[in-house]
Amino acid sequence: MEHLPIELVDVTAVYEGERIPALHGITLAVAPSELVGVVGPNGAGKTTLLEVINGLLPITTGTVRVLGEPVSPSSHGLRQQIAYLPQDLFFDPSTPFLSRDVALMGRFAVIGVFRFPSKADRALVTEAMAAVGIGDLAARPIGRLSGGQQRKVLLARVLAKRPQILLLDEPTMNLDPESKEEISHLVLQIHRELSLATLTVSHEPGPLLGRADRVLTVAGGRLVSDAPGNGTVTPTTVHAQCG
Amino acid sequence: MFGIPVHIVLPTLLGSLLGGLLCSLMGVFVVRMNLSSLGFAMSHAAFAGAALGLAISVLDPLWMAIIFAVAIAAILGPLSEVSRLEPNTIIGATFPVMMAFGLIFINLAPSAAIGSGALSLLWGSVLGITMADVLKLGILAVVMITVLVGFGKEFLAILLDRKLAAASGVNTRVYYYLVLFLTAVTVALALRVTGGLLIYALMILPASAAYQLLYDIKKVFLLAPVLGVLSALGGFFLSLAADLPIGASIVLGAAAIFFVSVTLSPKRRRHQQTAC
Repeated sequence: MEHLPIELVDVTAVYEGERIPALHGITLAVAPSELVGVVGPNGAGKTTLLEVINGLLPITTGTVRVLGEPVSPSSHGLRQQIAYLPQDLFFDPSTPFLSRDVALMGRFAVIGVFRFPSKADRALVTEAMAAVGIGDLAARPIGRLSGGQQRKVLLARVLAKRPQILLLDEPTMNLDPESKEEISHLVLQIHRELSLATLTVSHEPGPLLGRADRVLTVAGGRLVSDAPGNGTVTPTTVHAQCG
Repeated sequence: MFGIPVHIVLPTLLGSLLGGLLCSLMGVFVVRMNLSSLGFAMSHAAFAGAALGLAISVLDPLWMAIIFAVAIAAILGPLSEVSRLEPNTIIGATFPVMMAFGLIFINLAPSAAIGSGALSLLWGSVLGITMADVLKLGILAVVMITVLVGFGKEFLAILLDRKLAAASGVNTRVYYYLVLFLTAVTVALALRVTGGLLIYALMILPASAAYQLLYDIKKVFLLAPVLGVLSALGGFFLSLAADLPIGASIVLGAAAIFFVSVTLSPKRRRHQQTAC
């Protein structure tokens, strides 16, 4: 029996030291190859939702299952199947890492402890970097690249990892309009090519939400709507609705 | 050499070189992971432990130094995560307490032990290093390099970004504690080279110099120990030539390398060009 990539049942999560749940009674399922957008006002719980699915934040009640397995902060093995792009992750100019090494890190958990990246792993990275159009930037320090180029390196890392699930937190945030468009199309391309179950958080309209199969609206830590992605639910309509 | 018998010079030289190598290797982690006060806390804990060893005369001060430094590492890691305080805040509160304990233990030590041991804990006594001490440092170097190579991928991942590494499936907590543990043992074993007050500098300066010059972390891991060894070598000969304390001379050597690297740093030049 094939398991659902992502399944949450009545999930509540509270950040340590806080009393009000960041997520409250969330139930949702994401099917294989499905692209799901998540919108909502600031502090609604969108990032928390991704952290709970990835097991980075422990849940208080309910169940989170990824590929049929329960998720917890110690689900390190399960995270090999998940690619996660955190919100607003940019590297400062002095960061001592080359772009190709950052992309190669996508393979690390897959390769396993006490093993070194093989030629095949490196070839996958080269291929992934070429696929997102930054093959010529492989030897450049990551911090010396533009914001859009850094995002592409992280997308190459996703491609090289070959996951089954893709979690994106504001993937086009703080990018210029041209880069936003380019990154959105790359995400859609990766989603299609790898047949991923993709959950993408966004606070602005764009191709990602426009092409989503479903759009979830989160407000006050609750799932307030789960609508088909026909373009009727956008961050703009959500702000009008939820404030 | 300089009128000093070879059986004294050789262990001193080897001890200094190994101390420089080990401290600068761990410095790569301490600098990048923003744990720069970690060396402070560890070195003062090691100092307090060694001082207790002098006071109670039951256990070798070296072993007491290791126990104290490792205990601080074991406390700092979970405390910084559970209490949601910045590691530097916790460390900043820890090291004065350790220093105070050290001074109290020295005060309690028998007068004979104070003269020979206490000052060497503060300022180092590299001339007192024996081949047995060198052997311990050598074993630590082999262990450390084996661990760094064996878990190299995972260490690189947490050095880039701990959250991203955790999200990728790396058990970051285990490697973070491993860094703390190795740093503690390094500080304790290398305490005799520069003493508790200066060991921190030998950890930070060569690694910071390597970071100034390079954009590739793998090369930083190669250059930092080279600079650490050069600092030790330069300090060693400076001390013999000018009749200065060896530990302090080594730190001066490390500081000189750091200032040269800052001057030559392509990162700094680029930053200035951008600012203009």
